[in-house]
Amino acid sequence: MTTGHDPGEPRDADLITRLAIQRRLSRRHFLAGTGVGLGALALAACAPDAGGSAAPTTAGDLGDTLNLATWPNYHDQAVLDAFAAETGVAINVGVYGSTEEMEAKIRAGNSGIDVVVPSNYAIEGWVADKLIEPLDYSKLPNFVRADWNALFMDQAFDKGNTYSLPKNWGTTGIAYRSSKITEEISTWKQFFDLCADKYAGRGLIVDHQISSFGSAAVAMGYSLNTIDPAEMAEVEAMLTALKPKLFAISSDVQPPLRALDTWLSVAWTGDGVQVGRDNEDARYVVAADGGELWIDSYTVPTDAPHKAAAYAFIDWITQPEQAAKETEFCLFPHANDKATALLSAEVRDNAVIYPSPDALAKQEYAVNATYNSPERAEAWARIKASA
Amino acid sequence: MPGGPRRRSAAALLVLPTALWYVGFLIAPLVVLLVMSFGERSPNGGYAPALTLEQYGNLTTRLTPLTNTLGLAALNTVICLLVAFPVAYTLALKVRGSWKLILVALVVVPFWTSFLIRTYAWMTLLGNNGVPQVLAWLGFGDIQLLNTPFAVSLGIVYNYLPLMVLPIYVSLDRLDRSLMEASRDLGAGPVATIRQVVLPLAAPGILSGIVLVFIPIMGEYLIPILLGGGKTYFLGNALADLFLQSRNWPFGSALASIFVVGMVVLVAGYLALSRRLVRAGRETSLL
Repeated sequence: MTTGHDPGEPRDADLITRLAIQRRLSRRHFLAGTGVGLGALALAACAPDAGGSAAPTTAGDLGDTLNLATWPNYHDQAVLDAFAAETGVAINVGVYGSTEEMEAKIRAGNSGIDVVVPSNYAIEGWVADKLIEPLDYSKLPNFVRADWNALFMDQAFDKGNTYSLPKNWGTTGIAYRSSKITEEISTWKQFFDLCADKYAGRGLIVDHQISSFGSAAVAMGYSLNTIDPAEMAEVEAMLTALKPKLFAISSDVQPPLRALDTWLSVAWTGDGVQVGRDNEDARYVVAADGGELWIDSYTVPTDAPHKAAAYAFIDWITQPEQAAKETEFCLFPHANDKATALLSAEVRDNAVIYPSPDALAKQEYAVNATYNSPERAEAWARIKASA
Repeated sequence: MPGGPRRRSAAALLVLPTALWYVGFLIAPLVVLLVMSFGERSPNGGYAPALTLEQYGNLTTRLTPLTNTLGLAALNTVICLLVAFPVAYTLALKVRGSWKLILVALVVVPFWTSFLIRTYAWMTLLGNNGVPQVLAWLGFGDIQLLNTPFAVSLGIVYNYLPLMVLPIYVSLDRLDRSLMEASRDLGAGPVATIRQVVLPLAAPGILSGIVLVFIPIMGEYLIPILLGGGKTYFLGNALADLFLQSRNWPFGSALASIFVVGMVVLVAGYLALSRRLVRAGRETSLL
């Protein structure tokens, strides 16, 4: 964790007051959740009605627990605590390293999970197998369609956002340390060539079929989503030959990048930002020849035990103020334009977090067929098993 | 002993928790595994009911991880044995008094820290800012240690060594010293004494150590990822990938079933062999 937020830090009265004004905290929850002095309480009591847009949530309907299945370092604990303080619903955060791990839980059934945050490519399959339910927008009263960036809404994997609302999005790009790499890397082709030759022993690819096999396919001039047998055979041969020259096949990319065990790596937006913030020579680029664009989205499992709380949570955390705080914390871009507008300039103008539309032009979403292709899975297994 | 109906029902009651434990946590999961292994991967991942041997037919595609694992498990078990035997021998026969207790305790002390933390510590030690930097400073050039087969073996031997030391230590500690003295009196040198007297008597302990180390290495999953950088691919990694990446539960179940059968055969062989060794040892002692 590098973002420097201390969950145990007491929230300042200013924030409490703001919350109170914006969200019309009930007195009981205000006291229970914060225990802050009478001055703030008096302010809250005198707070003007904030335009009547706040959710008319009453704690009695919501229960007291919400089980959230999400990614590491993805949520600002202060935001989760504020939700608990407002609604009385305590959030249990379950941390997962991949969408596949989340899927293993909810596919097994009775997972107890109320809100799960999968990546785009899993959603179609989950819908087909009825693992998640259509979002009940009547329970998302604060959702304003117009606030959201059209680039990330209404995508092929979930037309009309029937089942999912974006949490954050990001890219799969190239992270490298310019103190060791003399070239300016701008394409996947260049990345894989350098890994195989000049920087043998220093390259890293993530342990994820979609991101690594897909980026290698892009390097060879094919689609990220290729499932064509001849193309896949070429990509497999390239990666099998490359494997002995790699430093690692691992999704834990930050430690070796920081320690300079690895000089160049397949990486996700957050890795690029976080390593870059602590190391002046670290670079993160969205490849010019293509690559992966992704969205993690809030979804509700069909068998979620605390659905009322799940909707209240999604409704609350996708609101611009909360979404902005979450984005400041996790440093992945948000799909809600109003949230983006609230960000500090440091985050909003960071080209690693928010690449220019031009940089995104050639990026693709991974699709369900790629995620579920037995041939791609087997090719990846053969690459990993090869000597 | 005569057992009235009361005593029998009391015995049944006492056995019940154990029986429930075995049924609930051993037999039931194995049945689920077996049933799934005859199924099919549903198009979106997971399990779809079927009755097919297809998954078992596909097992040949996992021959590489299997041979990798067998080879590395055997190699690392032998390394463990070679390191552990002198340690156990010294602890049992050379060290005396309270030192003995302290040193045996020290063998176990690493177990007090989480396996994961100890392995992460090795990542730091073997990584660029650790031992390689010292070696470079000493003029050995740019040496990569982390994410090599060497690092994997080091991690395995380090983590499993106590499991080899302790059973050998126990069998040597119980050894009748007069047998060794007799061997020397009869003209055998130290090497001949170890080979002809100590080793045969320690054989049951050595065998236990081998099994205790070999079986967990066969299922090893984390060390190849953390210290091998995902480049050394064990059966455990193949299984994890089948469940967590490909989401091919039936194939994963078939692989796991075969793995379980293999381990059962191995343990059965161990039990038969160790019974023979213990009997042979008893006869030697009686002589």
